[in-house]
Parts: sequence; C-alpha cells; structure tokens
Amino acid sequence: MAGQGASPETIAAIRADYGFDKSLIQQYLIFLWDIIRLDFGKSLVNSQPALGFVLKYLPSTLKLTFLAVFFNSIMAIPAGVWLGAKPTQRRRKILSTIVSVAQGTPAYVIGLLLIQIFSVWLGWLPSIAGTGTWSWVLPTATLSFALSPNLIRVVAASIEETTHQDYFRTAKANGAAPRTLLIKHSLPNALLSTTSLLGAQFAFLLSGALITEYIFAWPGLGLILVQSITNLDFPTIQATVFVVAYLVFIVNLIMDQVFRLADPRLRRSQL
Amino acid sequence: MSKNAQELVTPITRRRIFKSKNKSLLTLRISASLFAFLFLIAVFQPFFYRADPTLSDLTMRLKSPNFHSHWLGTDAMGQDVYSRVIAGFRWSLGIGTVGTSLGALIGISLGVSAAWNRKRLRIVLSRAIDIGISFPYLIIAVTIVTVIGRGFWPLALTLGLVCWPTIARIAYAETLTLREREYVTAARLFGIGSIRSIFTHILPALRPTIQVVAAFTFAELLIAESGLSFLGLGAPLGTPTWGNMLNESRLYMESAPWMMFGPVTAIILTIFTANLLGEGLNAREHSRSTRVSQ
Repeated sequence: MAGQGASPETIAAIRADYGFDKSLIQQYLIFLWDIIRLDFGKSLVNSQPALGFVLKYLPSTLKLTFLAVFFNSIMAIPAGVWLGAKPTQRRRKILSTIVSVAQGTPAYVIGLLLIQIFSVWLGWLPSIAGTGTWSWVLPTATLSFALSPNLIRVVAASIEETTHQDYFRTAKANGAAPRTLLIKHSLPNALLSTTSLLGAQFAFLLSGALITEYIFAWPGLGLILVQSITNLDFPTIQATVFVVAYLVFIVNLIMDQVFRLADPRLRRSQL
Repeated sequence: MSKNAQELVTPITRRRIFKSKNKSLLTLRISASLFAFLFLIAVFQPFFYRADPTLSDLTMRLKSPNFHSHWLGTDAMGQDVYSRVIAGFRWSLGIGTVGTSLGALIGISLGVSAAWNRKRLRIVLSRAIDIGISFPYLIIAVTIVTVIGRGFWPLALTLGLVCWPTIARIAYAETLTLREREYVTAARLFGIGSIRSIFTHILPALRPTIQVVAAFTFAELLIAESGLSFLGLGAPLGTPTWGNMLNESRLYMESAPWMMFGPVTAIILTIFTANLLGEGLNAREHSRSTRVSQ
C-alpha cells in the first residue's frame, strides 16, 4: 500500500489508520461498533467507503432480479397451468420431460450455452453488459430459464392438486365449463402456493445472480463480491454480504405479508 | 347398470394402480443404475482415461474433436478434454458425497433434537433452522471459502456446513409427527430412554424421507461446487474439475467451443441423475404409503 521502500513511520501510520496497533479484542469491539453504525470501513482497493460503493451497484442487481422474476412468471405460470390442467396428455408430457431435465441445469451453464448460440454462432445479441438495451436480453433470459422449470413444476402440481379437492368436484358437478373451472376455481388456490416460491426465488436470485453477473460482466452485487474476493478486499465483502442478507430479510418479510393478504384463512386465524 | 359400472370402474383403477406402481419403481431403477454407473466412473477413473488428464502437449493445442485420439478435442494446454471430464467425476461426486453426509449429520441431529425437546432448546434450534433456511447458502459458502482457502476438503466441508437447514427442517417436521405415534409413546411408558428411543424408533422411520432430501441436496451441492470452481473459488487452478474447465473455456468460445460441451454434458447428466434418484425414491415412498393405507 505504501510501496517497497516505505519508512517505518509510514508503515506505523497506516497501521494506526486501520487500527492494527490496538489489541485484537479492542479491534473486534471497534469492528462491531462500526457495523452497528453501518460503517464497514474503507475498501482496501479504492479507499472508498465500502457500503456506499456496494449500494451504488445495488440498483442494477435489483433491476436484473425484477426483470428475471417478471419474465419467469409470465413464462412459467401459463406453462404450469397448461401442464397441470391435464398432466397425462401426451404433448403435455413432452413439456414435463423437458422441465425435469432442465430443472437441475445451473444458471451459468444456461448462460454459457446462450452466449455460445446467440453471440458467437448467430451473432445476434451482445454477451457483455452495458452495450445498450440488447445487452439485457441474455442475462434476463439466462436467469428466467434457470428459474422457470421449478416454477412450472410447482404451478402444475398445485393446479393438479386443486382438481382433487371437493369444491372443485362440486363446481364441476354443477356444470361449470372447463375454462371457468380452471380460471375461477383452480388458479387462485394454485397461485397461493406459488407466491411463496416466487419469494424464495427472489431471495435466491440476489445470491444466485452472483455467477450470472460474473459471466455477463453485469455491474451488480455479484460481480463486486467476486471481484472483492479475488482482491481479498474484506470490507467490501462484508458490506456486500450484509446488504444481501438485509435484502433477503426484507423480501421474506414482504412475502409473509403478501401471503397473509392473499389467503383469507390466514387472515382470519390472525384475528 | 351396476354391472356396466363395475366393468367401467375396475379395469381403470386396476390399470392406474399397476401403472403408477410400476412407473415409480422404473424411475428409481433407472436412476439408481445410472447413479451407480457414475460412481463407478469416479472410482475406477484410470480405466476410462484416453490420456493423462493433466498431461499437456502444446503442439496439440485446441484441436477439434476427432474419433481417433481426442474424442472431445483438446484445450488450450493441449490436454485431452474427454479424460479431464472423466477426472472431474471423482472431484464432483466426492464433494457431493462428503458434503451431503456432513449436512445430513448436522441436519438430522439438530432437527431431531429440536423436535424431541419440548423446552427452550426447541425454540432456539427451530429459530436457527428458520434463519438458516431463509438465507442463501451460496453467499455463506463463498465467504467461508474466501477465508479458509481452496481445495477438496475445505470446499466439501464448507458445503456440508451450509447445506443442513433443509434437511434439518424436514427431520424436525417428521420427528414431530413420529414422536406422537403410539409405538413411541408405548416405548416411553415402558421406560425406554430418549436416546435409545431416538435410535431405535425415530431414526429408522426417518430414513426414507431423508434419502429423498439427501438426493436433492446432492444435486444442489454439485451445482454449488461447480459454480464455485467456475468463479475460481473452489478447485485450485488447473485441477481437472468441470467448473474449472468451463471457466477456461470462456476465453475460447469462438475458436474452441468443444471445450465447453464435455463439462456441460457431464454437469447436466449428473445433476439430472441425482434429481431423478430423488424423484424415484419419493415415488416409491408414496406408492408404499398408499399401499399401506389401502
């Protein structure tokens, strides 16, 4: 930090600046006190306050996360409903086979394959972030494709489950049309169990986007975390992990409230 | 009328039961044999090599796949991609096995003790499980690995230390219902101690459920492991693992796309097999419990 031929005074001054001249317990207490005041110290690489540095990159991660969850929902929920309505039909079985193969495929594998196909072979889409609107397509597609198999399965399973319920049979016996049955009777109940998964996926994305951001050089929390780890920049690592933990906490809290609002039974039991 | 109805009903139900039973076992059989085969590759990997996976030959750099020498081509160091993919099986399956075992050990211990105890321990442990389950474990793993370093054992133990919450929650929920069963209550009335009761009555009954969760956890750990290696945080550089190979292939996507396809296929295949095994075990459990209730 001070160079090869630094004088002992300079070294001592830097040590004092970082608080290394105090005892370990003192250092730890100071560290805790600083964290309570949301002061994670300065980045060891660029000497900026770590938290502010991390927060500057938060919006782009949030944008990517929202886009991915949005496209994932509009892609996977209809597919899941279609699959769950008649799971034994042959052409729907094809989809369920694709889904179960794709389910375990990690996001970075999907990302690499998409880059290989659409950037290298076809040359249609840019593979690096920050080159205009089109550079949003591949990262969003990667994360949506990575999340959708899970969502499709859960939606399909909950739709199918509702068809075994008594109220569904009653509605069917009363002569409700298949479309009405599906939209009015199956869907609301099925989406209820889907909400919790969406929340979990949102929380997962905040960390799972780590590798995707790295592949696409997307300027977000994930990229910062990876970079600060390679640089052993501890204040930044701590600040990033803190921000992610805080976001996950907030998402969980919001999902609990949404769940309570969406499910009348839960609301009644609370009163 | 009644005769007609019976004719209509009986064949359908019989066929349905036969089919579902058969299919669940079929999934289990196929996935278990595939899984065993992958482990055979991992254990007896030298027999599957076509070349030494770490032998580099710079005159053979970035050669495309051909049937005679390099089935999946060579990488930037002139190493045989096929042999490196084979070598990756031992690393990945080893980490998956160690990590899942450790996670299951921690998860079962915490889950069962949380459910068995009725006092303060339960509150503390079940809160700990809730917190653990809500936090994305990849972030924790990344942070731990940064501090303790790279290599097989650091990575395997770290992943084991972070993957327990799911297993713990399921063990907890299962034990809560199990401990209210008549046979467990009867054992308690006979004066059988907690420890003995847990080992003879709870743990064997937990086994089928834990097997299912363990298979899914295994798949998840494989994803996490290759992801960490891909970021350069898992395996030491140059070790033949799938994550490392993918990371190296990123620089040669235009000139040597084959460097990517071997590890990608291996990752997808292995994770799919583990997930399928979990589904097969799950289906067997379901068909068992429905048969019992019938």
